[in-house]
Amino acid sequence: MKRSFAVVTDSTADLPAEWAERFGIEVVPLKVIFGQETFRDRVDITGEQFFSRLAASTVLPKTSAPSPGEFAELYQRLAKDHDGCISIHIGATLSATGEAARVGATSVEGFRVEVVDSQTVSMPVAFLCRVAAECSSLDEAVAAVKERVSKTRVLALLDTLRYLEMGGRLSRAGAMIGTMLDVKPILLVKDGEIKPVDRVRTRSRAIPRMIEYFRSDEPVEYLGVVHAQSADDAERIAGDLRKELPDQEVTVGQIGSVLGTHTGPRALGIVYIKR
Amino acid sequence: MAAPAKAVGVDGPLFKRALLGSLSWLAANHEEVNRLNVFPVPDGDTGTNMLLTLQSAVEDLKESNAAEVSKIAKLASHGSLMGARGNSGVILSQIFRGFARAVEGKSSLTPAELAAAFEEAANAAYRAVNKPTEGTILTVAREAGRAAATAASAPEANVPRVIAAAAAGARAAVLKTPTQLQILRDAGVVDAGGFGLQLILEGMLKTFEETEAFLSTLPETKRSHAPASQVSLALPEGGWGYCTEFLIEGNNLDTDLIRNQIEALGNSVLVVGEPELVKVHVHTDDPTTVINLAGGYGKILKLNVGDMSTQHRRILETEGAAPAPTRPNGVGIVAVVAGRGLVDIFRGLGVDAIIEGGQTMNPSTQDMLTAIESVPYDEVILLPNNGNVVAAAKQVIGLTKKKVHVIETHSVPQGVSAVVAFRPDRSAEENVRAMKAEAERVQTIEVTHAVRDTRSNGLKVKKGDVIGLINDRLEFAGEDYGEVVNKALGRLGPDSYELVTVYRGEQASDAEMAKLESAIRSNYPGLEVEVQHGGQHHYPFILSVE
Repeated sequence: MKRSFAVVTDSTADLPAEWAERFGIEVVPLKVIFGQETFRDRVDITGEQFFSRLAASTVLPKTSAPSPGEFAELYQRLAKDHDGCISIHIGATLSATGEAARVGATSVEGFRVEVVDSQTVSMPVAFLCRVAAECSSLDEAVAAVKERVSKTRVLALLDTLRYLEMGGRLSRAGAMIGTMLDVKPILLVKDGEIKPVDRVRTRSRAIPRMIEYFRSDEPVEYLGVVHAQSADDAERIAGDLRKELPDQEVTVGQIGSVLGTHTGPRALGIVYIKR
Repeated sequence: MAAPAKAVGVDGPLFKRALLGSLSWLAANHEEVNRLNVFPVPDGDTGTNMLLTLQSAVEDLKESNAAEVSKIAKLASHGSLMGARGNSGVILSQIFRGFARAVEGKSSLTPAELAAAFEEAANAAYRAVNKPTEGTILTVAREAGRAAATAASAPEANVPRVIAAAAAGARAAVLKTPTQLQILRDAGVVDAGGFGLQLILEGMLKTFEETEAFLSTLPETKRSHAPASQVSLALPEGGWGYCTEFLIEGNNLDTDLIRNQIEALGNSVLVVGEPELVKVHVHTDDPTTVINLAGGYGKILKLNVGDMSTQHRRILETEGAAPAPTRPNGVGIVAVVAGRGLVDIFRGLGVDAIIEGGQTMNPSTQDMLTAIESVPYDEVILLPNNGNVVAAAKQVIGLTKKKVHVIETHSVPQGVSAVVAFRPDRSAEENVRAMKAEAERVQTIEVTHAVRDTRSNGLKVKKGDVIGLINDRLEFAGEDYGEVVNKALGRLGPDSYELVTVYRGEQASDAEMAKLESAIRSNYPGLEVEVQHGGQHHYPFILSVE
């Protein structure tokens, strides 16, 4: 049975590669720019390649949203064999991607595009896509996704705040992290905002704290662990979570280049949609 | 890239035009430089100082028709030295000086000679500064020079390309400054002086019309939300002192000797110049003594003394100090801390009021009471951070209407661990529980010298020996810091720990710090080592092991 509507997201959703095919999800890449070189996230550059390049680079990469034209092209193509589309994107407070999708959609006449601001980033967006993909009509999908937007959470441990700050996504003011000391904050992305929920001095103390925080948010509908160059830590956390929640599917994913520009290497995240 | 490979050298008129281009570009953007200024003192005038310095550099050469680049460079060097203002201005004058030296006797410069002059300019700037700090205008000058040299060695090198490369190198280095300098990282800005130098190079580049198109393709430098960052910096207890600047005119002036004497009187010291004319810049609490000292060497010219605390306060006022975020739990934190670095660390972690004191200066109950009353919260957590202060701290309870919780931290590491565990969304009771648990988890090693011969805990200690205390208990004595610290770490069992934070006291020298750090790293490669400037008295090193 073929769905009558298409599901679109962007590369910051950290959509597991096999999901694209399994659930029929289209991914529009954002871009990462090193000096004069531009790469399409997850198309021209993998997370692995990105982080090894980041380590060697003297310039900090920049990121950019897809253009409205790129969205328009995709929607035009999808219009041929779909009667509508739900386009679910990274939170509007974090990126201009959703705005580009909205503008792109206006240039495709006679094709219904429902752009949804996920108010989050990373794999929770992929979870929302999956929710949409399993619906039987576009209206149903839009309702099911919108209902879950406020339940998305990203609990993140960054190895350093440097990248997030330089990308302008977080200021230390008021966050009680304006310090000389190397303090690792645990951040929570909720309702489109990034705010620190805890802080620790060592990584090994941070991981149990994240899990502790996660427990206070249970039960969950979807659950994943994402990482930047920290597959071992991510697998260990996923293993612990699976033991605690034997009936819960726990998906492990890697952070791509665009998101990685803002998290820096060794970032870890517990990502979920609350029930 | 639109630059055609014209075989043009840099002669006097061209260099003059380039400097005028620099001046107008810096003039157009100096306010932006001001807004970035957080280091070494956030007084918001780096852009103005660099502009005035550059104006002075250009002043004399404006009238000159010299055909030789060497003459123009010399005028710029002299003019900038005469007019140098502020740290960055003085360093800029040294950049001009190095450039002028490098091009001495030359009428026109090839691309390679130009690049070499840029490099020598950076070297001269490094030499002029007593303790060069990376992540500042110095780094930017060096990277610009390197980029220029690379461009000059390319097969199709020409002057515009060398300047374009220098400007691009500067820009890249500026963007990297927050990774090199914590204060920039904290404030979320790039280095102001470095950015000023970038503008000067870009201004030069702009005068080469044919490179305009190339310039416009370059990405915009990221300029952060600087005003907000400026107001977030707290004024240190002692104020910033006075920014004191002047020229000494005399004969056979010995810059090294003068610098050594002035260094004892302040910080951010720059003493540069020629035997006949020396420029002095110092941040000092006592400008009169500095001026009297300098007056002994020659005639004092262009004296300028500014109260930096006032300057800084003025910035806070004009830009509207950010209101302290109100904490959802309504709980304040007060800590007893000594040492400028430690004060900054505790403040940065969110401590609302600090009482100066510790091992040798135990604050009174009244001191602590005053601090607690000053905090805009009705419930306050007090951290004594020293065993000798705990008793006085506990007496505060009951002397005030406020609800006071004393967490009995016996050391700086315990205090830091406790504060890190504080969460503004958690009740005072929950915080106290979590903070106590964290304070108990951390291990403290304090390193100092025995003040007399003694026998304690089965150890025979001679006066002057290095002694190591683990959690307040004398455990080791020895000849040097590394030996004692490594023994103490061995006793704690390094396998159970991850991170060692070394708080360096005011007595410890750079060399001693470096030696201790490498001793720990080589003995315990599994431990992460972080060095922080504590500035505490009495203990050359305090280590936190967690």
